[in-house]
Amino acid sequence: MKHLFKPNIFKNILILLVLAFIVKLVWFVISWLWLPSRGVDHVGKKAGKALYYRVKLTPNEVSAPTKTTKSTKKAGSIDDIILLAIYNAADVTVITVQHKGKTKVLSRGDEINGFVLEGAARNFATFTKAKKSYKVMLLQSKGKNTNGVQANSQNAPASASNKPQKVAGDVVDAGDHKLIDRSLVDHYAKNMDDIYKNIGIGEIKDGNNLKGFQITFVRKDSPFAKLGVQRGDIIKSINGQEINSYNAAFGVYKNIGSLDNLTLVIERGKEEMELEYEIN
Amino acid sequence: MQMVKKSLIVLFVLWFTILFFMPKRALYYKLEAVLLQNDIKINEKNIEEGLFSLTLHDSKVYVKGIQLATVEKIDFFTLFFYTNVEVEKLILDESLKNVAPTQIDEVEVTHAIWNPLNLSLDAQGSFGGIEGQVSLVDRHMRVDFNETKNIEMLKANLKQDEKGWFYETSF
Repeated sequence: MKHLFKPNIFKNILILLVLAFIVKLVWFVISWLWLPSRGVDHVGKKAGKALYYRVKLTPNEVSAPTKTTKSTKKAGSIDDIILLAIYNAADVTVITVQHKGKTKVLSRGDEINGFVLEGAARNFATFTKAKKSYKVMLLQSKGKNTNGVQANSQNAPASASNKPQKVAGDVVDAGDHKLIDRSLVDHYAKNMDDIYKNIGIGEIKDGNNLKGFQITFVRKDSPFAKLGVQRGDIIKSINGQEINSYNAAFGVYKNIGSLDNLTLVIERGKEEMELEYEIN
Repeated sequence: MQMVKKSLIVLFVLWFTILFFMPKRALYYKLEAVLLQNDIKINEKNIEEGLFSLTLHDSKVYVKGIQLATVEKIDFFTLFFYTNVEVEKLILDESLKNVAPTQIDEVEVTHAIWNPLNLSLDAQGSFGGIEGQVSLVDRHMRVDFNETKNIEMLKANLKQDEKGWFYETSF
């Protein structure tokens, strides 16, 4: 009988097929025992609420000074106020002003020439009159005349005086909320490293799950200290958005440049507090 | 001679079948699980398996839940003695523009049996071009900028010598 195939070749092919089968079997066992059958997919958390803007309904509250620029020029009487000195602590703000040749000491809420003192920062004070905000710069003693003309050039509505003065940015207490200079926000939006030099934020975890964020330190004299936050505060939400994930926190960070108002809810001890800010 | 020939055939078939039957997709899922331990997730639009390769298309990279980058194509290729990972069109989130170049056109990481203790790295992007070596024994990496365009944001982390700017780190 004549063979169609050489039995030796057939045997070798069979050996190779068995070898391939063994390899397949080994991979199958490895996959079955150690390799996952499904990938890891990221499921993004939907924002709880859209960012919102604070609307003031009561007529006597301080309004954002941004839109008052042009019209307040006519309220020239603010120019009569010359800011001579500022004492600004966490709980008290006292300033010394000169008005019509007389020196007067004012604390928050006091009125002069129809303008009510709302707050002060390192080098300026904010007043309100007829729902408009005014910023009065501290009179520079060196190289500047103390006469009315010089003082007038520094007195202007807040938003008008911001840019020419080249204020690096500050946080001003305006009573029920705080005013944050836009330039300050822009700076921190562009320089993330600078944030962590001034404020420490740590994770709060429940096992492996991130529950939220806690402030671990706030550098004294930094703008973050003026925001009113303290070490140990737990950040609950910003503008209604729960801050319980990096994504949520980063979402706020990314949009901070386009926000005019911020409402920060924190938990301090057993108390929940709401801090409000206006960015202008 | 016959024995050597047979052995080589067996070795070739073994090598080929190991690569051919390799559960590439499952191995990639394993890589995803490892990355997840570092809070890194990759969401890919689709996965394409080749004979020796696995390609991810239109991937989004999340770090701690934040989408930090999109990648048009990530290609894993291996012959065991030569392995290569190629990343094309990596776009970092705009918010990182102050810390890193946001557009990386191509990154190539290669490991070869003739240089087993090192990985070589090659990349082109808005920053220019880089070439680097990663020593797996010394756990050291050096990346040289052979062509620089816009590296202002990186300079704080770079050093300079007679060859130009370079980045050096140990891990």
